[in-house]
Amino acid sequence: MTTTLVNSIVRFLRLSWVTGPIFDKELRISSRRRRNYVLRFGYIVLLTLFLSLFWAAAVPSQRSGLYQSSRMAEAGMAIVAAVMWFQFIMTQLVAIVMMSTSISDEIYHKTLGLLMTTPINSFQIVVGKLLSKLLQLVLLMVISLPLLAIVRVFGGVPWGYIISGLCVTLTAVLFAGSVSLFFSILSRRAYVVIILAILTFGTLFALIPVLGAMIFISSDMLSEGEFFRGLTFVNPYFCLIFMTEAMMSARTAALMGGAAWMAECIVFLLASGLLLLISVAMVRRVALRQAVGQLGSPPPVRPQPVVAGGDTVSSTDSLSAPRRVTGSAILWKELKSPLLGRRKVAFLITIAVGLILLFMTYAFFANEDALDDDDVHILYGVVFVSLGTLFTIILPATCITSEKESLAWPLLLTTTLGEWQILGGKFAGVVRRCLPVWCLLFGHIVLFILAGVIHPIALFQVGILVAWIVVFLSASGLYFSTRFRRTTTAVIVNFTFAAAIWAVIPLLMFLVAEIDQLDYDLLESYLDTNPFVHIVVILSATAGHGGLDSYYWMDISKRGASQATLWMLACMIGYMFLGLLFAWRARYRLRRNVF
Amino acid sequence: MIRIENLTKDYGDLTAVENLNLTIKQGDIFGFIGPNGAGKTTTMRILVTLLEPTRGTAFIDGLDVTRHGKKVRRLVGYMPDFMGVYDDLKVFEYLEFFAAAFGIERQKRKSIVDGVLELTDLTSKQSVTVDSLSRGMQQRLGLARVLIHDPKVLILDEPASGLDPRARIEIRELLRELRRMGKTIMISSHILSELEEICDHVGIIEHGQMVFSGRLDEIRPHLGIQSKVRVKVAENRDTAVELLSALPSISKVEIVADYISVTFADGKECNGLIARTLVNADLDVVFLQPEQLKLDDAFLQLTKGIVH
Repeated sequence: MTTTLVNSIVRFLRLSWVTGPIFDKELRISSRRRRNYVLRFGYIVLLTLFLSLFWAAAVPSQRSGLYQSSRMAEAGMAIVAAVMWFQFIMTQLVAIVMMSTSISDEIYHKTLGLLMTTPINSFQIVVGKLLSKLLQLVLLMVISLPLLAIVRVFGGVPWGYIISGLCVTLTAVLFAGSVSLFFSILSRRAYVVIILAILTFGTLFALIPVLGAMIFISSDMLSEGEFFRGLTFVNPYFCLIFMTEAMMSARTAALMGGAAWMAECIVFLLASGLLLLISVAMVRRVALRQAVGQLGSPPPVRPQPVVAGGDTVSSTDSLSAPRRVTGSAILWKELKSPLLGRRKVAFLITIAVGLILLFMTYAFFANEDALDDDDVHILYGVVFVSLGTLFTIILPATCITSEKESLAWPLLLTTTLGEWQILGGKFAGVVRRCLPVWCLLFGHIVLFILAGVIHPIALFQVGILVAWIVVFLSASGLYFSTRFRRTTTAVIVNFTFAAAIWAVIPLLMFLVAEIDQLDYDLLESYLDTNPFVHIVVILSATAGHGGLDSYYWMDISKRGASQATLWMLACMIGYMFLGLLFAWRARYRLRRNVF
Repeated sequence: MIRIENLTKDYGDLTAVENLNLTIKQGDIFGFIGPNGAGKTTTMRILVTLLEPTRGTAFIDGLDVTRHGKKVRRLVGYMPDFMGVYDDLKVFEYLEFFAAAFGIERQKRKSIVDGVLELTDLTSKQSVTVDSLSRGMQQRLGLARVLIHDPKVLILDEPASGLDPRARIEIRELLRELRRMGKTIMISSHILSELEEICDHVGIIEHGQMVFSGRLDEIRPHLGIQSKVRVKVAENRDTAVELLSALPSISKVEIVADYISVTFADGKECNGLIARTLVNADLDVVFLQPEQLKLDDAFLQLTKGIVH
């Protein structure tokens, strides 16, 4: 009796009734995956590097000991804020990627139906998957805890910031994981899930706040302060910004007493719970369909229509006719695959809603008489370039790995198609599939050229920019797609590669420059090759009044339009050369790692 | 048509195929047999240019598979032991895609695809998406894909695995039809009784080495097994046993169930003598049947089933 009671208590405390054996299984699998160890190692290396540089920048070693001591508290706050933001962003991204195949893998490998023949229920499947991945992310966060505790010794860092920051991060990660898990039930493709999750986050935490600001602030329904204070309850980014500002300005009372972060955490816990409940219901439905063999089986035969004379039309006639292959076989196949899965209606509704929201922003700026302001065009330019870059990072990285995953890749390699034909077809497919996203940027430019707001040369210069981004990232994506077997890995690596060269390296260079170890000219020249710097410089010079302004590069020697264009062409040649190197390596690796 | 010389493939420390030698003549159906992990699939993947050998060479129609990959791929149709599908394509589209990948002109593609669909009895499924096909249908589609560029050589890795008996019989009939069309076929299977019925030659591989290669009727002498016949007489079975035991060319006579098993002395098959002896003794012979050595038995005797 006592033993039974003890066993029941132990079982309850172990939470095995929540997750079933799924949690153990997931942990066992993840402990065997090399990439998880690489991830943790990379995370620690990056974190240490950031901290060292932040430390060196905040407390210059050349100064006196007294000066260094006086800077300790400031340095402590800067370091803690840097760590907090670093892990806030990184863990959400990793959560989205980690959960992107959580359910779809089970559906694809037909193990979901198998699980439903056991006492495991769909709640345990969903929670077990989520918690096992969450545990790994918590481990990443735990890595930084001793560091945060040590830095606190320097003074100036309130416990409240550390605790609230970690809670906000944890709930944001939980929400990110839940969103990704939800989409992984809807789509089998990891990249689709990643794109959808990022777009959802962009819509929830950027687009909707912007639209909200337009509606509430401009109509004087709320003051700016009230609006942003309200936003901290429902937006983890604003919440963390608010808390970081409070810490930096030593408004500890505001930090501790405001408790907006607590409400925000509760809101996101509830939102995650709701999403998980929906996921549980959906997983159950999908699993049962798979268990009874309805998933992946032929579509139900429709009643055959009767034609004149009483004959029935054959069942094949009632299905839509196959499409003929035209042009390059590879390109045709690439374009035949739907970009975001088979849910065309949902996809079209999403596009329509996105476009409506976009036009609402135009309407707002038009109402505010701000459409001839170059800052507005820079904002649109940066958003459109970010979207285009995101798609151009993801799509090529999935081209070959998805065929490896579906085991069709060896079949393609036994045809008479040459390596360059395959790569060329894949590249053309990527360009065609990315085109609609880049059209947003070109549409904006063309529209405002016609309106006389943007100078026509912007179209040519943006064309150069987009050309090299597409070639460079497609080639690197194709290379990583030949290099790895799993789509998720290829996508993450291509994303990390782009983030490293355009965000991490400049940041590190800046920090090194701050501690007087690097010439600022080198940093500025390097920044002048950054696509986001390009779009900002192009639009700041060409947008506003239709005339042509100076090109404010980091390096001041290229202010004229012709010089700027030459610099852009030089960048294009450089990046395209690198792209060709990647393509050449991709060709070399095409017939390796086939299985 | 296929010639393999001293073929070796290493995966790190593991040698999957070691000094393999093999010749398959044009128009033959060659059964490639071996336990799991013996090196069959690796050999086939080298032949279809998906893997490069560590040492040795392989030729198809006189072309070195490592040097003339593209020409070899035009000659060979490969069906792997898994079904690679593009799930967004319909059956017709899937086949036409591969026809285009093999460089077949657009005008000719439709008739070719229709032809292979008819041959594999998939015409009614041409508008169905590939991933919704049953396992048997997918295997047929795999065969249809293999035939799309009219290759001289077919390399089929476990084409009948996972199929029900009816589908297996249909695949077997299809292979016979392909042999009539003059194709050279290399086929691996775990269902040895099926290979027995369609193969001209078999090769038995273990630990990456060929332990036997030749015609099925050459296995018995290779294994040192004596020929046997089964005899059944209507009555006086003991008399029949006595008579047969007295014959000098017979080494052993025994009663098994309701028939008599007669083992010949080495190389001395004399079915006529047995029949004559029994008929002269006024015994009614119900049947006289040579006892076949089953491929299953030969396989068990030649291999130990130890996996790498």
